[in-house]
Amino acid sequence: MKKHPAFLIFILFLILLVSVVLGILFGSVNLTFSDIFHVLTGNDRSSTAYILITTVRIPRVIGGLFAGVGLSCAGVILQTVMNNSLASPNTIGVNSGSGFAVMLALIFFPANSFYLPVFAFLGALLTTLAIFLLAAASDSSRTTIILAGITVSSFLNAGINTMKLLDTDITVNLTSFLIGTLSGLTLNKIKLPCLCILAAFAVSLFFARPLNLLALGDDIAHSLGLRVSLTRFLLLILSSILAGCVVSYAGLLSFIGLIVPHICRRLFGNDARFLLPCSALLGAGFVILCDLLGRVIVAPFELPAGIIMSFIGGPFFLYLLLKKKGGRRVHA
Amino acid sequence: MLEFSHVSVSCGHTPILKDISVSFPSGQITTLIGPNGCGKTTLLQCLNGVSKVTAGTIRLNGENYLKLPPKERAKKLAFLPQVRTIIPALPTKTLVEHGRFPHLGFSRKKSVKDVEIVSRAMEFTHVTEYADCSVDTLSGGMRQRVFFAMVLAQDCDYIVLDEPTTYLDISGQREFLEMVCTLKEQGKTVILILHDLNQALRISDRLLVMNDRKIKAAGTPEDCLASGVIEEVFQTQIRTFTDGEERFYFFR
Repeated sequence: MKKHPAFLIFILFLILLVSVVLGILFGSVNLTFSDIFHVLTGNDRSSTAYILITTVRIPRVIGGLFAGVGLSCAGVILQTVMNNSLASPNTIGVNSGSGFAVMLALIFFPANSFYLPVFAFLGALLTTLAIFLLAAASDSSRTTIILAGITVSSFLNAGINTMKLLDTDITVNLTSFLIGTLSGLTLNKIKLPCLCILAAFAVSLFFARPLNLLALGDDIAHSLGLRVSLTRFLLLILSSILAGCVVSYAGLLSFIGLIVPHICRRLFGNDARFLLPCSALLGAGFVILCDLLGRVIVAPFELPAGIIMSFIGGPFFLYLLLKKKGGRRVHA
Repeated sequence: MLEFSHVSVSCGHTPILKDISVSFPSGQITTLIGPNGCGKTTLLQCLNGVSKVTAGTIRLNGENYLKLPPKERAKKLAFLPQVRTIIPALPTKTLVEHGRFPHLGFSRKKSVKDVEIVSRAMEFTHVTEYADCSVDTLSGGMRQRVFFAMVLAQDCDYIVLDEPTTYLDISGQREFLEMVCTLKEQGKTVILILHDLNQALRISDRLLVMNDRKIKAAGTPEDCLASGVIEEVFQTQIRTFTDGEERFYFFR
């Protein structure tokens, strides 16, 4: 069975489009189609529907879209750069690092949201580098990287909790932040991080072939003329931007950076030229849909997107893991 | 001609190779032999940049090889590393196309010539019919040929193969070495590391005998046999038999 990659990308794009439309149409408040029609035609800018859609739902959907793109691509990149299929922004502590930095920013610059993505990026980058150097120094076995990541993660999470407990002025809901949520986003808050994610994603597409070479192991990558250390370093920076910017507005959305790349690997293969765009599209659609479900199923209350993601993504991922691969063995 | 002169390699602060000078003449098959851990791989890895050269120079046709940018290097010399632990789940053809990486520009678009070279490399190693199969579903022998095709797709005059026949069965080894000899007939320069002394003695134009991280001898297989250096290094005795046209070597 050979599927054309462009066709797959088109299907994923359709899925994303549908989730964007659904994300705007539905929510904890039911809007009728005529409400939405009025909003779209631009009449009546003072209606509840108009305000709801432009100030709540659209920022939320855009935020979700870029959160999916950022975390999924960061996952693809980290898995390849660390040569470890368990690597993801969450498992190697990048999310916690950037969450920790976001908390610091909230304490020291409570009024200025410009600093959030910057801090988030720096936190993510420092943690990535720390884990990477730690693993390199200890002869980087695959287990070491993950163990180091989990250790650093819990250390930084303890830091986040301490800060929150000691400084009661922080305006963030800690539980939601740790699980990851898209509630309360405004266009202003997400403008800068989303632009950064978009830029980093575009740049990462140029790294598709180098990523493919790195995936073959350092010695082959060297032999094919790749500047291995430099490429690795640039890719770590890219993944830090991607993951850090998401954390700055959506908190520690976990899991998606691990499972979306794996789902895409199983469905579309390991070629980074398709893996990156496919993961980005699927990740974006997935986050938007999870967020929508969280808004709808317990309305008028809300479940954070992170919870829904684990509820749906977990079993689906297990199913993929347990399903036998349909490949046949060819003998020479 | 590829020439190492006074090359030293260190790993961290530990010197591994010291002051090695050897040369690999063009158009010939040169094979490095020596016991495990004698530094064969480390020496050749100076060529793909995995070993860090701390002193000395390497010249390729007179040009300072170590000063070349990595991509230029990979256009002149192709290197197939030792046994791999990572077997990618990529279609065979995609993997072979990776060999064109040093030739692709910034846009990384394949030209007609790239496509042609890739399919020629796949034909040469007889993997064309597996073009769409994922490499991780292939047998060990096939995988080795796919990686060989990738290296050939680099389209270099110099080809370095580090233990290419390890883990292949007898017929796989013979086929592989026949391909190596064909490459030589096409005018390529081949540098090998082999553990099978029989194979090394039979297909090489020149042997480099290494022991304890030093070059013990360099010369034709006949010279190396006559001088007794192989027997000394491997602590073995060699008997030679001839059945008219072919020569066989026995070790004990």
